[in-house]
Amino acid sequence: HQHDHQHAEAVVSTQSTGSFKNHEMDPFLLKKIPKDTVSRLEEFALYLRESKKERRSYVSVVKTVNVFRDLICTADWVTARELIKIIKCYCKYLPLSQSNETDVSNVVRRILKIIREENAGPEATNLADGISAFFKSDMKPSNLGRSDLQDNILNSIVELLVELDTSKSNIINMALEHIHSNERILTYGHSNTIRDFLLHGRRARDFEVIVCESGPSLQGHRMAAELSAGGIKTTVIADSAAFAIIHAVNKVIIGTHTIMADGALRAANGVHQLAMAAKYFSVPVIVCAALYKLSPTHLCSYDPDAFNKVIGPENMLNFSNAKLHSKVLISNPDFDYVPSDLIELFITNTGGHAPSYLYRIISELYHPDDYDLDNMCVETVDDEL
Amino acid sequence: KQWYQRRVRGHSQTHSSCFQNIYLAGKSITEKAVNRIVNGDTILIFKKSQLILHILLEAKAQNKEFKVVVVDSRPDLSGVSSCERLTAAGIPCSYVYINSSTYIMKKVTKVMLAADALLANGYVLGPVGTAMMGLIANTYNKPVIVCCETYKFCERVQTDSILYNELADPDSMLKTLNAEESPVAGWRESPNTRLVNLVYDTTPPALVSIVITEIAELPCSSAPVVLRRGAVKM
Repeated sequence: HQHDHQHAEAVVSTQSTGSFKNHEMDPFLLKKIPKDTVSRLEEFALYLRESKKERRSYVSVVKTVNVFRDLICTADWVTARELIKIIKCYCKYLPLSQSNETDVSNVVRRILKIIREENAGPEATNLADGISAFFKSDMKPSNLGRSDLQDNILNSIVELLVELDTSKSNIINMALEHIHSNERILTYGHSNTIRDFLLHGRRARDFEVIVCESGPSLQGHRMAAELSAGGIKTTVIADSAAFAIIHAVNKVIIGTHTIMADGALRAANGVHQLAMAAKYFSVPVIVCAALYKLSPTHLCSYDPDAFNKVIGPENMLNFSNAKLHSKVLISNPDFDYVPSDLIELFITNTGGHAPSYLYRIISELYHPDDYDLDNMCVETVDDEL
Repeated sequence: KQWYQRRVRGHSQTHSSCFQNIYLAGKSITEKAVNRIVNGDTILIFKKSQLILHILLEAKAQNKEFKVVVVDSRPDLSGVSSCERLTAAGIPCSYVYINSSTYIMKKVTKVMLAADALLANGYVLGPVGTAMMGLIANTYNKPVIVCCETYKFCERVQTDSILYNELADPDSMLKTLNAEESPVAGWRESPNTRLVNLVYDTTPPALVSIVITEIAELPCSSAPVVLRRGAVKM
């Protein structure tokens, strides 16, 4: 897997399934956006392409909102339809088809939904639950002029930022409802949300945590160091020992990279087998994740290019053993698909939900026309003015 | 093998029964197991076992066409030497860590595991991670073949892996393949951190399809019958 730098642009553009061909913005886009914004937009695209392993999804999500807010303020548009067209055109330029950009795509979908809602006006929000709203094209020109519409949109975006800001604290405040004293909790690898969740629980309860070291990256060691620094008794075990000790554990609490539309997870490599072991012994698996990780996409293929990402094997087998490297096929997938029937509960910033309820949350957060960001919906294609 | 043959040449009764139980048992199991390997198989093995490697090398010597997936786990990573022996014999190999076992399990046709002991209630005692391989293979409906000589059958009964186990050196878990030090390297100074390096785990009999021994191919539940038969003989 390439580590991107500026000279590798040509290689990167072929990687992202052809969503940008010449590493230049669409001329339609360049017409509508002033020069200095263009440079900021290009900077953001570059930031996304440097897919650093340690990048926190919260940081990139906030950056995304700020970049799109900038775009909304400075671009040349009159109707909401035009604005959506500009945003989707910019999305074609971003490397959103890579597997680790789902949090960015989700936030863009939230922004598009905000624009559609503000355009439809206050009376349309009552229909939000109705079937009619699903089929209705809410792109008729509203009474609001650009400046009013823009103000409404920007206010809603500020609310979105507040929601993103407080998402982690909302999750960790539920720690005391889910951890009781003298419990043994199993967790996997490293997650900032889970670490803060458990440390918050430690303030009032006394419990033990067992951490799977999550090879080959060994993120579990980092988690164990942080948890024990926070005063929690932590035990580190190898991933192979998970089945051996799981019957003695009260619950499994894990974080995830993405939540798929049916409640399945795209999580760190090794979580699926842990969830299977937990199911065998009827140990509940609880996933803590903010709603910006909830993606309205389903698993359509187990293919590494479509769903997973295979990274370099240097952490698995030393390159000094080069003779073996040349003869053996070594696989180091980065993610793992965990089906939804293995998961008991999702703890999100809006509260606890069963996996079967997530479809409802998706219909509230995103608009069906935005599920596929590459698709310029028919009604947004023709220019109104 | 040659060393043992030289030792047992011309011997007392006890020596030749050792020869039978240990060396010939391995040979007999190999014959039975090789019959189960067909052309086009992808066989999954877990870490390193002399018996399983012997079976695979024998199958290759009989010109069977098959691939092997070696599943390895930390901290000892003994699967690497399995890979070396298999590639030296010309068998195409894949190598994954146990974390990725669900990723590759779809392409596997059978799973061959070695046992350190077979307990009287049918549980298989093996290197830690064997139970996980059994569980995943079952979920994907792959047959799990355990190869075990009868001298490994044991009267002890156990239902979990914790009550009776061994702990290996915890500091071996700190070994990383890149030069960086693990964040828990100072675990002995910290009162809250512990490293636990289990050696064995027990696999429930429901997860095992068949156990190949030198006397017969049995289900796990036949373990006490074999033990009784052995006691009567003595």
